Amino acid sequence: MTWWPFSQSKRMLPDFAKEYLARNELHIPAIRALNQLDFVVLDTETTGLDTNNDSIVSFGAVKISNERILVRSAVEWYPESNQSLKQSPLIHGLVERKNQLPKSLFIKQVLEYISNAILVGHHLGFDLDMLLQSTKDYGLTQFKNPIIDTMNLAIRLDHGPQTNLSHIQVKNYSLDALCERFKIPLDDRHTAAGDAHLTALLFLKLVKIAEAKGIKTYAQLIR
Amino acid sequence: MANVIVNRVAEFLRRFPPFSFLGKEELEEISSAVEIQFLEKGETLFKQGDAPQAHFFILKEGEIHLTESKASGEEVKEYLDEGDVFGVLALLGKRAYVLNARISQNSLIYAIPVQVFEEILATNNRVALYFAAGFASGQVVVRQDLSQGQKARGALKNESRENSLLIFSDQSEVKISDKVLTCDSSNTVQEAAQLMVDADVSSIVIVDDSFRPTGIITDKDLRSKILAKALPLSTTVSEVMTSPVITRKKDAGFSDLYLTMIKNRLHHLILTEDGSDQSNVCGIISDHDVLVSMGNSPAVLIHGLLNTQEVKEIRAIRERASKMLAYYLENEVAMDFVASIMTEINDVIIQQAIKISEKSLAGLYPEMQSVRYCFLTLGSEGREEQLLRTDQDNALIYENVAEGLRIKAAEYFLKLGTAVVEILIACGFAPCPGEIMASNPKWVQPVAQWEKYFASWILTPTPEALISASIFFDFRAISGSKSLSEELSLFIYDSLKKKPVFLNFLAQNTLATPPPLGFFRNFVVEKSGEHRDQFDIKARAIRPLVDLARLLTLSHAIIGINNTFKRFERLAELEPNYKELFSEAAKAFEILIRIRAIEGMKTGNDGRFIDPESLGKLQRQLLKNTFVPIDELQDIVKVRFQLDHFGQ
Repeated sequence: MTWWPFSQSKRMLPDFAKEYLARNELHIPAIRALNQLDFVVLDTETTGLDTNNDSIVSFGAVKISNERILVRSAVEWYPESNQSLKQSPLIHGLVERKNQLPKSLFIKQVLEYISNAILVGHHLGFDLDMLLQSTKDYGLTQFKNPIIDTMNLAIRLDHGPQTNLSHIQVKNYSLDALCERFKIPLDDRHTAAGDAHLTALLFLKLVKIAEAKGIKTYAQLIR
Repeated sequence: MANVIVNRVAEFLRRFPPFSFLGKEELEEISSAVEIQFLEKGETLFKQGDAPQAHFFILKEGEIHLTESKASGEEVKEYLDEGDVFGVLALLGKRAYVLNARISQNSLIYAIPVQVFEEILATNNRVALYFAAGFASGQVVVRQDLSQGQKARGALKNESRENSLLIFSDQSEVKISDKVLTCDSSNTVQEAAQLMVDADVSSIVIVDDSFRPTGIITDKDLRSKILAKALPLSTTVSEVMTSPVITRKKDAGFSDLYLTMIKNRLHHLILTEDGSDQSNVCGIISDHDVLVSMGNSPAVLIHGLLNTQEVKEIRAIRERASKMLAYYLENEVAMDFVASIMTEINDVIIQQAIKISEKSLAGLYPEMQSVRYCFLTLGSEGREEQLLRTDQDNALIYENVAEGLRIKAAEYFLKLGTAVVEILIACGFAPCPGEIMASNPKWVQPVAQWEKYFASWILTPTPEALISASIFFDFRAISGSKSLSEELSLFIYDSLKKKPVFLNFLAQNTLATPPPLGFFRNFVVEKSGEHRDQFDIKARAIRPLVDLARLLTLSHAIIGINNTFKRFERLAELEPNYKELFSEAAKAFEILIRIRAIEGMKTGNDGRFIDPESLGKLQRQLLKNTFVPIDELQDIVKVRFQLDHFGQ
């Protein structure tokens, strides 16, 4: 996973982006125990599923440290967007956008928040792509953090690391399906912070299963 | 900035004490400080002897056992359930953990940093009280000061409940008697007085030929207009009656009637068909009726009882006493006060029932009127601890009669006892399923036979005898000749002195039911780990305490103190080294009978079986704390009566 900035962006790179990159140059030792790792569990709510044309309505995240969800660390931010609201906000029940943050401030806060933690999310790739849309303008085209997708982790724990994903019933690994399976009540579903919270609870449970299967270190977890 | 996650946490915490006592901001502050941890079955959160962590815990979901490691193995001390707070010794005492926290089912816990909570502890009295009272789990190893617990319960009680209105009953309940005692103007005052005595009323209305009211004579008139003026008994009523009379229509509103009485200083108001004195008398209302309907103060209720011999009205007054009881219980009025008021009311009811019964039999058994007898109440009523109308337990003792009168006496007293019991049933006191009542010939006996009963129980303490003893040892004279019950007490005292080993049997009986460990979800958890879905508060907590108090006072050769509070009080004086334990036991007893009464009131029965689900967290914890003195008293009894070596 390499980060390859375009030369033109590099010149424009703001300080907060440089700091972010600098923090991520430190690599986590492979043998670090799972309970010593810092995670940021995140979720975004967007205007739609098109990573090129849709945009982020809200960003929710919570940190996990020492295998504990730190409630105080929970955030929910609403970036400014010039795009009109489409149908999706209705689905997500967002009536209006409040406390909107200017885009640069939003990106700055996100990067400071995620720092060099391991990023966790359900279908995390989508959320990161949506975020990158905004960070691109600041010369950042890829996140440097290690990432864990809870859907992939769940599949891997069920079926082993060598599974062919095309043989898997993906619907059994949706956030809703997994929450149901792990008896996590679907509170505040479809708010960014609420989904981040659900994902964090799911992740704590998956980590226990992983540990029971002999996955004890950072390297084993991240593969 | 509060967000959905903080709110979610707050919403959970708010459901459970002590978080339920926090203000919005405090709750938000605590909630954001929460750290959520998931633990798998088999893991251990902390171990006995570990230094305290920087957090204490609330179980969000799952199941955790607090266990104690002993030489003999690990013993579960407590089953934690959703909302239980634990690991608080770290919070309070900054000491090592005294128990292990074993995860028995996958569990989600909320960890709260001690320092955040310490700030709130310093500023929020109710939270501080909660912890001081030892409500949080895992504190059971230290004996709880139950008075702190009670204080806390009072302070922590939902403040918004408005109960004070309960003491004022519905105005529509005012009783207007439609049976009006009347006579005509030619009757003498002596005849009128006799009619009033026979009917047991305080007034008589004088009517003309067509039943229209022309005047009234009351108790007061007899006193002030006749006796004080030394008028002859042959004076006719028309000479002294108050006339004309003020009348009102029967279906007039209560306030109209009441105001008429107040304005005209009337003790009795006559009601007629059309409201004028030119129509038929159809009812009378007395200030006594008004007084009774005005409220449920004990004095009013007792006054009401003393002035009626109508079973229906007695029953109605007892219903109102229940309302008053509910008010007292909810307002944490001292239990010994409540118990003595309710005992007084129950006693008056029984005394009235006896009066009614005596009256109904007097004509049939003139020769029995001079035979002394005593009506005894037994069990909880005998101990002056009956709050709700639980089962009747009563008996009758009469003096030994000459051979020739024996059959007649047995017949009369059985009829008398039966009549009393029937009236009590009609007043809502359920009959005793074991037939321990004054309607059972076995329990209506002369002194000689009662002495035989007690002698045989004490001499051959079979299991049945021990059960009987536990009921009959707490007898109390309600009405009649108290010297008979005293005679019986002395006899028991002498018998016990001659056969002290009886107490060892009694002692063994008190150990039969150890209190449970506590509650878990909707179950009662036994020490064996077994779960039951109902808690028999009588058999498992109240009776053991009553039995222990009885046993220990008997072992000090004290006869005649029946009340469990008073017994513990006396024991505390006699055994100063256990003073604290005895006062804990008395408080535990108070809490138990209060909970039973509240539950009974809620469910409309005798409150004996409690569904753990219906108990609030606070009540469960309070209840659990009462098990501690029971446990300790049972240990003392075991040693004192050497029950480990006492053959079965």
